[in-house]
Amino acid sequence: MGFSFPEDLLEHVFSFITSDKDRNAVSLVCKSWYEIERWCRRRVFIGNCYAVSPGIVIRRFPDLKSVELKGKPHFADFNLVPDGWGGYVYPWIVEFSRAYPWLEEIKLKRMVVTDESLELISKSFKSFKVLVLSSCEGFSTDGLAAIAANCRNLKVLDLRESEVEELSGHWLSHFPDSFTTLESLNIACLGSEVSFSALEHLVARSPNLKTLRLNRAVPLDKLSTLLHRAPQLVEFGTGAYSAETRPSVYSSLAEAFSHCKELKDLSGFWDAVPSYLPAIYPVCSRLTSLNLSYSPIQSPDITKIITQCPNLQRLLVLDYIEDAGLNALAMSCKNLQELRVFPSEPYVMNSNVSLTEQGLVSVCEGCPKLQSVLYFCRQMSNSALFSIARARPNLTCFRLCIIEPQAPDYLTFEPLDSGFGAIVEHCKDLTRLSLSGFLTDRVFEYIGAHGKKLKMLSLAFAGDSDLGLHHVLSGCERLSKLEIRDCPFGDKALLGNAAKLETMRSLWMSSCSVSFGACKLLGEKMGRVNVEVMDESDYLELDSKSDGCLVEKLYVYRTVSGPRDDMPPFIYTMGQDSAYRLN
Amino acid sequence: MAIVKPEMKSFIWLETPDGSTQQVEEEVAMFCPMICREVLQTGMGSSKNYAIKLPQRVTTPVLGLILDYCRFHQVQGRSNKERKSFDEKLIRLDTKKLCELTSGADSLQLRPLVDLTSRALARMIEGKTPEEIRHTFHLPDDLTEEEKLEPLRIRTNDPRIRLLNRLYARKRKELKIREKAKCMLENVEVEEEHEHVDDRSVDDLLLFINSGDEKDSKGVKSSASGAPKNKKKNRRRKDHPKGLHIIENGNHKKETDSLCSSASSPSKISKLLESDSPTAIMHSSDFDFDDELDPAMKEQLDREVEDFARRLNSVWPKRVSGTGMGSLGHDRRIAFAPLSRSS
Repeated sequence: MGFSFPEDLLEHVFSFITSDKDRNAVSLVCKSWYEIERWCRRRVFIGNCYAVSPGIVIRRFPDLKSVELKGKPHFADFNLVPDGWGGYVYPWIVEFSRAYPWLEEIKLKRMVVTDESLELISKSFKSFKVLVLSSCEGFSTDGLAAIAANCRNLKVLDLRESEVEELSGHWLSHFPDSFTTLESLNIACLGSEVSFSALEHLVARSPNLKTLRLNRAVPLDKLSTLLHRAPQLVEFGTGAYSAETRPSVYSSLAEAFSHCKELKDLSGFWDAVPSYLPAIYPVCSRLTSLNLSYSPIQSPDITKIITQCPNLQRLLVLDYIEDAGLNALAMSCKNLQELRVFPSEPYVMNSNVSLTEQGLVSVCEGCPKLQSVLYFCRQMSNSALFSIARARPNLTCFRLCIIEPQAPDYLTFEPLDSGFGAIVEHCKDLTRLSLSGFLTDRVFEYIGAHGKKLKMLSLAFAGDSDLGLHHVLSGCERLSKLEIRDCPFGDKALLGNAAKLETMRSLWMSSCSVSFGACKLLGEKMGRVNVEVMDESDYLELDSKSDGCLVEKLYVYRTVSGPRDDMPPFIYTMGQDSAYRLN
Repeated sequence: MAIVKPEMKSFIWLETPDGSTQQVEEEVAMFCPMICREVLQTGMGSSKNYAIKLPQRVTTPVLGLILDYCRFHQVQGRSNKERKSFDEKLIRLDTKKLCELTSGADSLQLRPLVDLTSRALARMIEGKTPEEIRHTFHLPDDLTEEEKLEPLRIRTNDPRIRLLNRLYARKRKELKIREKAKCMLENVEVEEEHEHVDDRSVDDLLLFINSGDEKDSKGVKSSASGAPKNKKKNRRRKDHPKGLHIIENGNHKKETDSLCSSASSPSKISKLLESDSPTAIMHSSDFDFDDELDPAMKEQLDREVEDFARRLNSVWPKRVSGTGMGSLGHDRRIAFAPLSRSS
C-alpha cells in the first residue's frame, strides 16, 4: 500500500472479505498478501476432493475452522457412477484431526463417510459445531451415536439425502441430558423409526432449535407434541402426513402450527392426505419455502395451499401440480425465485398428469424474480422456449428435462436448437444449464457463442458430432463442470481442446465415442489432470485395451495432487504408466 | 492534568511526526485511546513543549481526518442516522488516503474508525481481480508464474516425484563433483555454479527410510589441495519456487546423458566421493570407475526408485471401503430420472 501497512491491520481488512472468490483473488495479488491471507483463511471449499490432497490444504491454510468437500461426480445422482468409485473422507479426517484441533464445521457432499470417520470427528474436534452430510453414504446409526455422545457443542446435524445403515433408532439418546446447543436437525432421510421419546426430549431441551426435519416414520399425531416444544422453529419437515380423519388430532395440529410464528419453511408431507392440509394454512402467509415433492397431493389441493403463500420464494413439487396449479402459482407468488417440478412417474411414457410446457411458460411470464428452474415434462416447443427466454432474461439456472430422450418440438417436429439458443442468448447471467430433447450441433453453436457465464452444463442424447463438443469447450469461457451422456462426441473435440480441461473442475463423459487411445494421449500430455476411465463389464485388461476401443465412462478432472490411489479395479488412470512423468 | 473551568476550555497539545504541533480540544483528543492513555499515564500534552508525540503513521492530514471523526462522534445525542451519514462522507477518499487513515486510526487505537475504514477497504477489494486489486493499491506483481500456478509447486509433494527429484539432485551433484574434479585435474577453472538447493522440509527428508540425508548438511572434507569447497550444505532458500526443480530435472537429465560417456580419473575422484555424503542409495563402495559406471548407476537408481516407491505405497493410508449403495439398474432410455429431491 505504498508505505508500511501493518500485517495485522491488513488481516483485519481481510476479515471483512468472506466469499471464496474474493479470498482467492486476494491471495493472488502479491507475495505478502498471499502469506497474510493464508494465515487468516478460516473457511475452504473444495469442489473435488481429488483435486488437492489434505496435506496441501493443511500446509497452505494452517488455521481453518470450516471445510466443505465434494466427492462423487454429479451424475452419481442418476446412478451413473458405479459403487466403489471413491470419495472417501476418512483420510481427510485423519489429517484434519492432527492439523485442526479447533475445526468447527465439516460439510460433505457425495462422499463415503464411515462410522470410523464419524467417531474420529466426534473425538478430535473439541469445538465441533456443524456436520452436514449431503447425499453421503457408508455410515450407520452407530456413527451418529458417536457424534451425539461426544460433540458437546454441536449446533447442526444435517443428513440430507444420505444413505444410512439403520441399526438402531436409539442413537438420538446418546445426546447427553446436558446437551442444549442444537440449532438444526435434519433426519428426513432415515427410513426407520427413531426413538420418539428421545427426539421429544432433545427438542424440548434445545431452545435454539430453528430447523427440524423429521423422517417419514414420525406419525402425524405426534407432530403437535413436537411443535409445542419448539414454537420458535423456522424450518420444519413433517413425517408421514396422513392419519385417519380425527377432529381432535386435526385441531391440536392446527393449533400447534398456529403457535409457530417464525415458521417460514415447510417440507416432508409424505403420503399426505388432503384432510390434514388445512392445518398448515395459518402458516402459509409467512412461508418462503415449500417442498411438496414427496407428497402425492393433487393439483386442486396444491393450488389451495400456494394461493395462500404470497411470500413464497421457493417451491419444490411433483408434476401433480399440473398446468392449472402452475397458473395459480404464477398469479399468486410474485416473489418466486426457484421452482423445481419433479416427475411423479418418470418411467411411464404416457402420463395422465396434465403438465405441459405451458405451465412453465406461465410461471416464467408471471414471476418476475424467477431465477432458477428445474422442470421435468413430456413435451416442449421452441416457441415455449422463446417465450421463456424473452420473459425471464434474469434466469441463472435453467434445467429442462424432457423425459423421452431426443423428443423434438412437439408442434413442428424440429430440433429444439433455436429454443435453447434463445435461452442462452437472452439469459446473459445463466450459470447452469441442462439440455434435453432432440438437439443437433447447432444448439452447441449457440451455447458456445452466448453462454459466456455458463459454469455447469449437462447433456444427454444430444448433438451430431465432435463439432458440438468443440463449440462448447472452445466457446464457454467460464465452463467449470461438463457432464455428458450418450452423445456422439469423440476424440477430436477432446484432444483439440485439451488445454481447456485444466481450466475446468471436471468433465464426465459416458456412452460417448471417446477412444482409449485418445484418453491415453490426454493422460500422458496433461500433467495437471487425471484422466480416469471406467469399465465395469470388462476391466481385467483395462490398461491394455487397444487404442481404438471406446471408453464406457470417462471422468477427467484437474488436480494438483496427481493420480489417486484409492480406485477400485474397474477404474484406471490413463497415461500414468511412466512413473517418471514429471510435468 | 488540566481541570476544566467553566469559562476556560481545556486543550491538549499534539505533535505530528513532521514536528508541527497543534492544540486540540480535550474532549475531542481524549476520544482516542492512545492519546487518552498518554495523558493519564505520562501527564504529557498540557503545553506546547510537552506535546504528545503521535505515532509515525499519524501525519498532519491524517490527524485532521481523525479529529474530524472524533469531534463529530464524541458529541452525545446524535442519531444513528446522522452518525452513519457522517461516516459515509468521511470515507469518500482515494485509496491512498483511505489506507493512511486506516493506518493512523489503528495506531491511535480508535477501534470504531479502524473498523469503518477497514470495511471500506474491503469493499474496494471485493469483486476485483488480482490485477485490478494490484492496480488500486499499487502493489507489486511479485508472485512468480510457478507460485501463481501453485500446482507446479505443490506437484512435487507427491512422494514419488519428490523421491525422483531427490535422486536426480543427488546424481547431479555427484556428476558435478566429478566434473569439477576432472577440471581440477586438468587445471581448468571451474565456474562456481550457484547451486539450486532444495528447500525440502525436514519432514520430507526424514521420509526416507534409512536415509543418510542428515549427513548432507555436515559438509565435505576437502581432500585435494586447492580443491574448491563443495557446496554440500543444504541451504534452505525461502520462497524457492519448486517449479524450478522440475525444469532443473529436465535439464540435468540431458546433462546426465551427455556426461555418461566422460571418463574420469579414479583415485582423486573416489576420495572426493567417499567424503561425499553417502546416502542409502549410492554407496561409494559400489563405484567402479570405468565407462560402464553410469549405466550401472542408472540401473541401480531405477531399482532403488522402484523399491522406495513400493515402500511408500505400503505407507499410504489404507483405502476405507464404503458400503455399497442402491441398485445399479437404471433405464438408459431415460436421461435423468432423479433419485433425490435434494433441496
